[in-house]
Amino acid sequence: MTRASFLGLVAAWAPLAPLGAQHGLTARLSGQGILVGTYADPVAGGQSLGEVRLVQPIIMLDVGLPRLRLTFHATADFEGWTMPHGELAPGDWGEGYVDRRHPHTYVHELMLSAEDVLGHFDGKARTTLSVGKGFVPFGTDDPMSRPVERFPVNHHLSQILERALVMAEVDVGPATIEGAVFNGDEPESPGQSPSLSRVGDSWAARLTLRPLPGLEWQGSRAVVHSPENRAGAGTDARKWSTSVRADRRAGPAHLYALVEWARTSEADGVFVFHSVLAEAAVTAGRHQPYYRFERTERPEDMRTLDPFRSVRPHLDNSTLGTSRWSIHTLGYGLRLGAPIGHPDVVPFIEVSYGRIATVDGGLFDPTTFYGRDSFWSASGGLRIAWGMRGHRMGRYGVPTRTMDMPAMTEPDRAR
Amino acid sequence: MPAERGLTLLVTCLAVISGACSERPTDTEEPPIVPAATPTLVATVSIPPAYGIHDTFVRDGLAFVSAWNTGVMIFDVGNGVQGGSPSSPQLIATYATPGGETHNAWWFWNPNTGEKKYLFVGQEGPGALGATSSGDIHILDVSDLSHPTEVASFHVNGAGTHNFWMDESAQILYAAYYNQGIVALDVSGNLSGSLSNRLVDSLRPGGAGDTYTWGVQLDHGTLYASDMLSGFWQIGLTAGHFSAKRGGDNVPDRYTSDLTVANGFGYTGTWGSNRPGVVGDAVKIWILGASSAPLLVDSIVTAGIGTVSDIKVSPDGKLLMFTAERGPNAGFWFYSLSDPATPAYVARYLVSSGVHTGKFGTIGGRLYAFGAEDPPEPALLILDVTDIDR
Repeated sequence: MTRASFLGLVAAWAPLAPLGAQHGLTARLSGQGILVGTYADPVAGGQSLGEVRLVQPIIMLDVGLPRLRLTFHATADFEGWTMPHGELAPGDWGEGYVDRRHPHTYVHELMLSAEDVLGHFDGKARTTLSVGKGFVPFGTDDPMSRPVERFPVNHHLSQILERALVMAEVDVGPATIEGAVFNGDEPESPGQSPSLSRVGDSWAARLTLRPLPGLEWQGSRAVVHSPENRAGAGTDARKWSTSVRADRRAGPAHLYALVEWARTSEADGVFVFHSVLAEAAVTAGRHQPYYRFERTERPEDMRTLDPFRSVRPHLDNSTLGTSRWSIHTLGYGLRLGAPIGHPDVVPFIEVSYGRIATVDGGLFDPTTFYGRDSFWSASGGLRIAWGMRGHRMGRYGVPTRTMDMPAMTEPDRAR
Repeated sequence: MPAERGLTLLVTCLAVISGACSERPTDTEEPPIVPAATPTLVATVSIPPAYGIHDTFVRDGLAFVSAWNTGVMIFDVGNGVQGGSPSSPQLIATYATPGGETHNAWWFWNPNTGEKKYLFVGQEGPGALGATSSGDIHILDVSDLSHPTEVASFHVNGAGTHNFWMDESAQILYAAYYNQGIVALDVSGNLSGSLSNRLVDSLRPGGAGDTYTWGVQLDHGTLYASDMLSGFWQIGLTAGHFSAKRGGDNVPDRYTSDLTVANGFGYTGTWGSNRPGVVGDAVKIWILGASSAPLLVDSIVTAGIGTVSDIKVSPDGKLLMFTAERGPNAGFWFYSLSDPATPAYVARYLVSSGVHTGKFGTIGGRLYAFGAEDPPEPALLILDVTDIDR
């Protein structure tokens, strides 16, 4: 599957790239990968753990047919191959992984968009229809396209991804309205596709406003049916998200900042999880310091004999309780090489410190499980990317081209 | 239209990708002991994966399968009403109880009236284990087995029900009620509407904050309770009211799961712990006295399992069965009770996805074990264990 994804994208791109504008077609191949070593203390059982992984190895193919107003976007993600047991990250959870960020599916995105489908019928508005597999219009950008290497704990509260969806998007001046129907089920393994029979059992909507260049607000709502039971027997999740995002030049530097709030209510309010996150990065020349704080609640599911995995599918609707993770992450990246025309090569280091608390009781007790109620982790590595500018993971159509990926932003080219 | 062709292409791609990389666990451990006998699987009945099957109540050749959001499924497994047998179960009816989450059942035979009218169904709603729970008791009229109908229910604010035991001659239902402890309910006479006025008594054995009761069993006029937090209890009864309690706070190493009592001994399972590496792989063995706290005398620890999900003694008192989940040795485990203080391993039947519950049933003179196979492909498993029992 991994090899097929890779070869498929390259094979598709190779004959398309030379065709050029005379045929009204554009094709671009881009990608990134991060070689990272991570040390965390403690993990389950109270001991420490260190490991090296290749994370976020992705290849993207973008094909445009301007005459037909069609764009095709595909992302192959090879994490199922390079990190089948997940990436060590205390606090992270989802898709059966605990304290490890799960690998994404090999076919991460596969989206076809028809832009401005109504032409002049919608006046100055532009209406885009998209279909395929990808990000649901809900919440904030995927962490893969943000400065901090470590995924936030709130990934499953603030993004809905890897779903089969049909979405419409209307852009009117500084406003964008998106709506989508999709399948509620989360992937159970990197090779699994969305349950097509469930497409339409869940929905999401997002309103985005851009009052100033480089400044963006979004508010979004989603109702997701049985995300953790593929057969549809699980409880529903009702989700809210709002955020303010800045991505603009500030004097000689480039500033990126995000503040977000998210809430997910499950089982008719029996379980409610909140998240507040703020992060910022400043890019000045080759230097990029960054910082994130988040306070996020997560469900504590029953684990398998492997303390980094939870039982899936669930055997009932109960949890072991709710934990709250308050984490500071400080990092620094240094771009090597020429700023334009070469791959971005960015060695980086980041350190996290967090505290763990319980919310409203339950069997889970972090002090017993981890040996104490705080942790720290350190990561260092090398991020290599090429051609990643101009794509925000989590948005399709017109907004895709309005801002750069902050992790890759070059101050002399930023809008 | 290009857009239509694109959509067709995408859907085709997704369809091809579906199921292309199905994964199954492959790691298993060798059995620790060579089995002396082997259970025989006589039937596998697929249950809709809405989570699947949680429990089975077997009586008079009928199997009442608690199938979560599918509801209660009634099978003829030898009764004859539908021509079924253990090797060829025949579905009589399915009834979806309000709210779903159908967890367990008890078919009430009233010896005072001869009625076999009511089926008590437990609903296990969402909760945080050890702290909160939800779910009601639903009472179905099964006079016509092919058309069950809910006629009454029982609700406790802030708590949900779990396993049952019925004192049929006294017409009292004892229900484990997680954070509410144990509830005694008068089920005599005609049952209709809310049974809130039928509450006889309730008890939190471990006290508030240290009670999360999994199961109950009546034995020779004494009630026994297994509590996830506070362990194994013996509770005296006076006309359905709870009196002296003995034991408790006696399983500090793990959370306690189900229980079974026979031959003057108690056997309790374990569910796990809050410490990584200490899992629910133990069966605790207790000596019971008429008026003394249960005394722990031994335990069985089974490698390669993470939960003892159910535990039962056969009707003749000779065979101990427990079911297991979470691990390469999940499935059915059988021990001889020739010496009830020191059960001897007899056989096992492994089920890789795990078995959530197991119940004995005697049909046509043979002994069967009915098991609830966990998802992703849930099923009612029926094993002939007659030879093991001998």
